[in-house]
Amino acid sequence: MLDGRLSLTTPEGVRLLLTPAGPAPRAWAWAIDFLIWLVFIVCCGFLLLRNESKLGQAIYAVVLFISYWGYPIICEVYFGGRTLGKRALGLEVLRADGLPVGWRESMLRNLMLVADFLPALYLAGLLSMLYDSQFRRLGDIVAGTQVVYREKPKPRIDMAKTEPMPLPFALTPEQQRVLIDLFERESQLPPGRLIELGALATNLTGLTDEASLERLCAYAAGLTQ
Amino acid sequence: MCLRCGIDAMKQKQFETEHQALWSEIDAILLNASSQKEELPAYYRRLCQCLALAKQRGYSPTLTDYLQKQVYECHKRIYGEAIERPQVLRNWLLRDLPCRVREEWRLLLFVIFSFWGVALITGLLVWWKPYWAFSFLPHGELAEMRSMYQPGNVHIGRGGDSGDLAMFGFYIWNNVSICFRTFASGMFGGFLAMVSVMFNGMNLGVVAAWLSLEPATRGTFWPFVVTHSSFEITGLMLSGLAGMRLGLSLINPGRLSRRHALHAASKRMFPVIVGAALLTVLAAFFEGFWSASTSIPASVKYAVASVCWLSVISYFGLVGRARD
Repeated sequence: MLDGRLSLTTPEGVRLLLTPAGPAPRAWAWAIDFLIWLVFIVCCGFLLLRNESKLGQAIYAVVLFISYWGYPIICEVYFGGRTLGKRALGLEVLRADGLPVGWRESMLRNLMLVADFLPALYLAGLLSMLYDSQFRRLGDIVAGTQVVYREKPKPRIDMAKTEPMPLPFALTPEQQRVLIDLFERESQLPPGRLIELGALATNLTGLTDEASLERLCAYAAGLTQ
Repeated sequence: MCLRCGIDAMKQKQFETEHQALWSEIDAILLNASSQKEELPAYYRRLCQCLALAKQRGYSPTLTDYLQKQVYECHKRIYGEAIERPQVLRNWLLRDLPCRVREEWRLLLFVIFSFWGVALITGLLVWWKPYWAFSFLPHGELAEMRSMYQPGNVHIGRGGDSGDLAMFGFYIWNNVSICFRTFASGMFGGFLAMVSVMFNGMNLGVVAAWLSLEPATRGTFWPFVVTHSSFEITGLMLSGLAGMRLGLSLINPGRLSRRHALHAASKRMFPVIVGAALLTVLAAFFEGFWSASTSIPASVKYAVASVCWLSVISYFGLVGRARD
């Protein structure tokens, strides 16, 4: 748990790693959701309250109730634990055991938003998140849920320019990962530093400097195919 | 048998071509595009085996990441499937809700006393010295109450049948939200939930005594309020009860850690808070369409009200006892 990730083991003995999401992305997700709700409710108000009909008022109040309390719950239960804001930020709500949330968990955690809001501006929720090792707000603790990052598929490295080559001898998965990570960060590193790093792998490539880097790239291409 | 040599990459290719059909089939099932859904558990076991092999043989991270992700998706699909419980609502209503409330009878008594006690005390105070009403509620609100319940005014203020509908919508939004807030605020040691219950008790006591001072408003207020209050006050008290139970589990977690105690209490209290919300919605129906109706004579309203109160009390007192 050094990297702050949450490790779960399934009945099949597979280890799942979940990355809890901190206060900042969750606050952004909340802000997006709140804006969407605000725009929706103002539009509804404009449509329904325009001619001051009593029926319009009745529908408006019920829509207000359902959208205010029900929107996050319905999103979490039926759309993979993600409201629109969480979708935009790449977050999702899961039960503590890594499974999707049900009605009970979702309702409890969203009703508890009221407690998280106290005394003002989600202060209780923020303190709880800062104190908890998995960034859980009070509602998450009560309902037994957590908000994690949804793993995005990594962008494939563009290896078109190099001919893939097999490794001269086997590397451990960690070593292979280091090799691939290097070329994932290729665009962010200055060329001089890249050559410097490539030269470190002389033992693997049997070459020096730029030639070594090019050979490494060929190996990485072979690995990612 | 794992030979770590240069031809591992070739073996990986072989491995991939060998199992590609399985992986694509699982992908199709996960996207709901396959007809072989019931095969998923068997496929999943083979997939776990693939992942274990790929990891142990040191195949490339791209492959193991892909398999790992697929395993997780399958895990969620298989174990996240809720067990079908067709009678869950029936069990809730006929057993869980009244039993949970009876189990918490001490706390329930406390909530009842804090609501009705405050209501009685403030009510008697206002009845005895009417000027005390101004210490509890603003002057404008009291004057508005008085004019709202003038006999000739009741139907004018509401505007006929569609007006009742508007009030019904408002009651749902306002009262159920109050229920939910009362419950959630109980989290901090139960104090805020208790304050909310007492505050509503005070409101009722003051308004009831204030409007009972005049015979005219007395005749309109009591028939209006007596029916739906059976559900509304019970709903509020139940949400207060659930909230306070949550707060108490934080103060006195017993043999559990505070986190687990909170989680366990919320699990137990979930039927109660849902029951409270349902009762409040029911109250909104009565308040909107029955209580406000001026065409029903007061005696009928009192009769219906006593049936409602009796049924609420006997529901929580008697239902589910056989299966306790």
